[in-house]
Amino acid sequence: MILGRVVGSLWCTRKHAGLGTYKLLLVRPYFYYDPSHETEQVVAVDTVGAGVGEDVVVCLGAPARWSLGDANLPVDAAVLGIVDRCQLQRVAFEGGAPAREGGPRARPLAPLGAQPPRTVEWIE
Amino acid sequence: MLLARVVGKVWGARQAERLQGHRLLVVRPLLAAACPSAVVAAAPDRPALAALRVDVSADHPALEESAATRVVVDELGAGPGELVLIAHGSRCRDLTLGEAVPTKDLVVAIVDGAELRFEQPLEGARP
Repeated sequence: MILGRVVGSLWCTRKHAGLGTYKLLLVRPYFYYDPSHETEQVVAVDTVGAGVGEDVVVCLGAPARWSLGDANLPVDAAVLGIVDRCQLQRVAFEGGAPAREGGPRARPLAPLGAQPPRTVEWIE
Repeated sequence: MLLARVVGKVWGARQAERLQGHRLLVVRPLLAAACPSAVVAAAPDRPALAALRVDVSADHPALEESAATRVVVDELGAGPGELVLIAHGSRCRDLTLGEAVPTKDLVVAIVDGAELRFEQPLEGARP
């Protein structure tokens, strides 16, 4: 799952029937765990009534389909939760050493610098 | 799923048998949809935190494409210049194109419109 902010919504008339009437949200991840992911956006189906501007947790892959209650939807991302608050270790997301020696570090996306998550409490 | 701009088509006389009859499109995933700084720079007179409908058929700065291209199978009839929604994975393919088609990327929707949020950079934020 990834942490991101809903930055927009989309509408489409020509689409696969499986997408049905689900609301499509455009989400900007705050961090990506996969450095090879070249784009900084993901479109997710909304299951919890999230709105534009909210911080959300997005599930990618097959579990996103299961969460919709129908495993036969051509969907690979779903918003599963609206974030009220989260705590992050600052060192793991900024320059310098990762949180533990040899440990992983999320790749912060470029525009994040100007827009840290409102819901985040940083742990020094 | 990703937003991507259709930038061309591919066709070939010699191709995998199971690709026959499927349209192949060249797409470029959007780089950073609704990048706040790019959008604010483009529309400095917009109030912060306002949502605005953007014309997805035009070159809006919020809809900048990445240089990386991807070839996808299209069943919906998307054309060059259109904004499409790309789903990835074999299961999505099974559910839409059928299990026999050798691809993992496909068009699941053609985007008509988008409403994007415009945000001002926060003062004192990390560089």
